[in-house]
Amino acid sequence: MPGITFDNVSVRLGGISILDSVTAEVPEASATAIIGPNGAGKTTLLLALLGHVPYSGTIRMGPNGGSVRLGYVPQRLDLDRGLPATVMDLMVCGRQRLPLWFGVRRKRRERAMELLTAVDAAHLARRRLGALSGGELQRVLLALAIQQEPHILVMDEPSSGVDVGGEHLLCELLESLRARHGFTQIMVTHDLSLVTAHATHVICLNRRVLGQGPIAETLTNDVLGATFGLHLGLADLHDIRAARGEPCSHPGCRHD
Amino acid sequence: MIDLTWLFDLAARLLPFEVMQARFMQQALVALVLLAPMCAAMGVQVVNFRMAFFSDAISHTAFAGVAVGMLAGVDYRLSMVVFGVAVGLGIMALGRRLALSFDTVIGVFFAAVIAFGLAIVSRNRHVARSMQAFLYGDILTIGSDEILLLMGLLVALMVFQAVGYNRMLYLGVSPRLASAHRIRVRAYQYVFAALLSLVVIFSVWAVGVLLVTAMLVVPAAAARNFAHSAAGMFWWALVVGTTSAVAGLILSAQPWANCASGAAIVLCASAWFVVSLLPAILQRRRAD
Repeated sequence: MPGITFDNVSVRLGGISILDSVTAEVPEASATAIIGPNGAGKTTLLLALLGHVPYSGTIRMGPNGGSVRLGYVPQRLDLDRGLPATVMDLMVCGRQRLPLWFGVRRKRRERAMELLTAVDAAHLARRRLGALSGGELQRVLLALAIQQEPHILVMDEPSSGVDVGGEHLLCELLESLRARHGFTQIMVTHDLSLVTAHATHVICLNRRVLGQGPIAETLTNDVLGATFGLHLGLADLHDIRAARGEPCSHPGCRHD
Repeated sequence: MIDLTWLFDLAARLLPFEVMQARFMQQALVALVLLAPMCAAMGVQVVNFRMAFFSDAISHTAFAGVAVGMLAGVDYRLSMVVFGVAVGLGIMALGRRLALSFDTVIGVFFAAVIAFGLAIVSRNRHVARSMQAFLYGDILTIGSDEILLLMGLLVALMVFQAVGYNRMLYLGVSPRLASAHRIRVRAYQYVFAALLSLVVIFSVWAVGVLLVTAMLVVPAAAARNFAHSAAGMFWWALVVGTTSAVAGLILSAQPWANCASGAAIVLCASAWFVVSLLPAILQRRRAD
């Protein structure tokens, strides 16, 4: 399974520098998180990876830069709530050649149900897309992305619109899917608890790369301070220390 | 030239109303039965992509297209089609490239083609008089040539819908998501823009510039209220569009109505829309 190499990637939009010479590695089969404050260029880096924004520099995917299948889970969809399309319609519309007006082929339906079951969304198959909650839609989009049999799964703020319990379930789900399908996962998040609980590798970004590597070695006070500035106090440092195997002196900390 | 007499005779036999005995009514019926499903099918995507304004802009290119054709001594039907498709593709190309929203790009084209058409029409009174037919449409004057063209367009459009309906639904959900998942978004968008422009221009003959968008949008909007799935929306749009066209044509020719057929067709579709509100309201109540 291929990793990703960002080599000197810069993005300028409307005369403003969004990304400045970003050079970073996403290891093969890792769960890599891109973290940084608002406006750091995290989503722009993903959009460059997807080919949706113009950039200078090089992005290589796979060992030889050959054809790579991507699965994409966007942060949110500007969904037309009145669209009379069901979850099953969405699951098959990118795969089935027979027009949907003639129904869904049994083989496609069974495959879609397998994937929806894997993300605990089988009961949503006949529901209209506009009637899904944020967390439900996120799981359906994840099933849709997995259906691509991706080499690389790209996720933008996967925990947005998901409550704490849902976030925990999502983390478990992603880990089991990654173990089963063996893809490389790259996700943008500003949720440090999600990073420490789930990621194996991190890229700290604030227009340029301020640190990258395994979680325990990278998320030092210096790197986090440089990335997030004075608001570091809001981060869950107990989780980070726990990830590094360090005791925490905080009186209420559950990791001590 | 292919003889379509058998088809017109068949139309008269299937709808044995007195008004259907006139040949021009039979021709109009055949044309509408070809055109209405096209409008309905494309209307589904026009509504999904929120492109009603796009079809409005293309319909208004008819004035400029006709005026240019008349002044240049070219068949105005050809100049309408060429001008309409060129503007449709131009809107799509600029909308994809510029940082402006699609609505703004369409608005600029809309204003430019109307101003261009008016500038030419206002210089020539003869051309100005000819324009009235395009304002209100005149399906009753449609001939066998145009019907053969409509048949060709129907075949092309149904091939596109058969190949692209599922992928176009993906684009309707999110073009970015579709593109990431290896759907050829650009190709589908350009082919859709070209075909939609053709359908709009042909519809101008039937219902006129003022009502073209209604032919596209109203059946699809009613279908949204009736349907529970993407398949349902397609079939409902076809039913609403085609029955409205047939009923509107026959009603408009009744002595008590005696009105423009385009207006009657859109009124029938609007009546369908009113009926469709009932299941929509019931569904919302169940959801609440």
